Amino acid sequence: MPSNQPKRTPLYEKHCIAHAKIVDFAGWEMPIQYPAGIVQEHLATRKSAGLFDVSHMGRFRISGNQAGAFLDYGLTNYAGGLPMGMSHYTILAQDDGGAVDDAWLYRFESDNYILVVNASNKDKDWKHLQSLKARFTSVVLEDLSESLAMVALQGPQSEAILKGLLTGGALPEPKRNAASVAALAGHKVFIGRTGYTGEAVCFEIMVQADKAGALWDILLAKGAAPIGLGARDTLRLEASLPLYGHEMGLDSEGKTMPILACPTARFAVADSEKKEYVGKAAIQRQLAALERYKKGDFSDSSVLPKRIVCLRITDKGIARQGSPVFCQGRPVGVVTSGTSVPYWKYDDSQTITEHYDQRSVALAYVDCQLTAGAEVQIEVRGKMLGAKIVKRNLKPGAAAMMAVFE
Amino acid sequence: MMIDKQARYLQTHEWVRKGPGNAYTVGLTAYAIEQLGDIVYLELPPVGKELQKGDIFGVIESVKSASDMYIPIGGKVTAVNADVPDNPDMLKAEPYGKAWMIQIEASNPAEFDGLMDAAAYEKFLETEAH
Repeated sequence: MPSNQPKRTPLYEKHCIAHAKIVDFAGWEMPIQYPAGIVQEHLATRKSAGLFDVSHMGRFRISGNQAGAFLDYGLTNYAGGLPMGMSHYTILAQDDGGAVDDAWLYRFESDNYILVVNASNKDKDWKHLQSLKARFTSVVLEDLSESLAMVALQGPQSEAILKGLLTGGALPEPKRNAASVAALAGHKVFIGRTGYTGEAVCFEIMVQADKAGALWDILLAKGAAPIGLGARDTLRLEASLPLYGHEMGLDSEGKTMPILACPTARFAVADSEKKEYVGKAAIQRQLAALERYKKGDFSDSSVLPKRIVCLRITDKGIARQGSPVFCQGRPVGVVTSGTSVPYWKYDDSQTITEHYDQRSVALAYVDCQLTAGAEVQIEVRGKMLGAKIVKRNLKPGAAAMMAVFE
Repeated sequence: MMIDKQARYLQTHEWVRKGPGNAYTVGLTAYAIEQLGDIVYLELPPVGKELQKGDIFGVIESVKSASDMYIPIGGKVTAVNADVPDNPDMLKAEPYGKAWMIQIEASNPAEFDGLMDAAAYEKFLETEAH
């Protein structure tokens, strides 16, 4: 098959019927936006429920009695300790402590795991895992990306929508990262309380490819709004979630970014000394550097010279990937992702209103000594925009919808 | 697609129209606005700025990208529509009306006649779409 032929997910026809604007993304013909547009799609996800086709991502099944041991070796998190009915964030590490990819590992059933990887890295990840498999003779690695489709349903109304469609099993309980096998409107599904939007109420659903269209239609009929890749990006950026190729992988100079330069990656690295895994020595050096930084000791910044920070732009204007960042006139790094995102306004009693506004946010890869509270400047078309490093631009947890600007 | 029969056009989708008075009014076409999607930021030049035909006079940003805008006719900026940067949504509704961007005192009015007229621009859009 010619490799330059764009691929289509089982939901491609649905996107066309909905008049989506289709673009090429990582070799896939995907909806960048529907007629509502990126801003309205973003807002719909935050206020009610957004439905995303994420079937372009890679899905690998790992089974066999050494599956847990193999995943412990090939991934940074503690797969062996992942209980059935749970999932976690994890990373495929290189020996030098950089990332091959970041991924999500689900354990829906006791004897097998499903690893979801980035579409753009799928072939590379597959080869990487195959190369590590040699020492685990009884592991079976299968590519389910075509036979199993995947959608995400995100936002405060998601749970009510799914509850109304449940015909078997149960939704994953009680909290984020739980995973379950269930039936929605008669279709067998694998559900995780996971997502890429920062929403507290969030689900990702895997379904047999030939049932994906039927499930998609039902979810739309129940009130979910279709959301394209454009809003998927603004939602993840507002929530400060990393994207491989921006906040992970290679930096703007083509150098490997250490995994733990990205704060979110800390959740993907097991504390445990229990396991041997690819990249362990390098990652332990990064962990030691983070410990020193926490104590204010920046005497040795060779392992983690720069880190990913979250920025709020205080001047009018938008920072974009590649915009240089300065602190007191000194170049300190570069913007890795940036745009303007919409947010709902709240009234004095913290109730969501019908009004929204836009704000300019970014993620940047900057000098490791710069932390929340620091003022920086971002160069955009020869002008300097003021910006402040903030802990985050979106409150986590129950009030995830509440846009903060602290 | 909405088009102003009185205006002249650039292939980069800026329009220019005679008036008010001896001035020329400049904006961005409905086609360009639709292609860009949600507009979130607009940067326009200050009054008094001297521009040569083809110079960048401003920047328009959607969620996804930033695009330069080119001046179809050279001259001095005599007025800037400050309402548009404050409310970019108006570009969708009235790209040739209330959402005009700048007015120019043309240094060489003959430049206007050399631009694509509405019929030529419409024909150009057909080729652009295919």
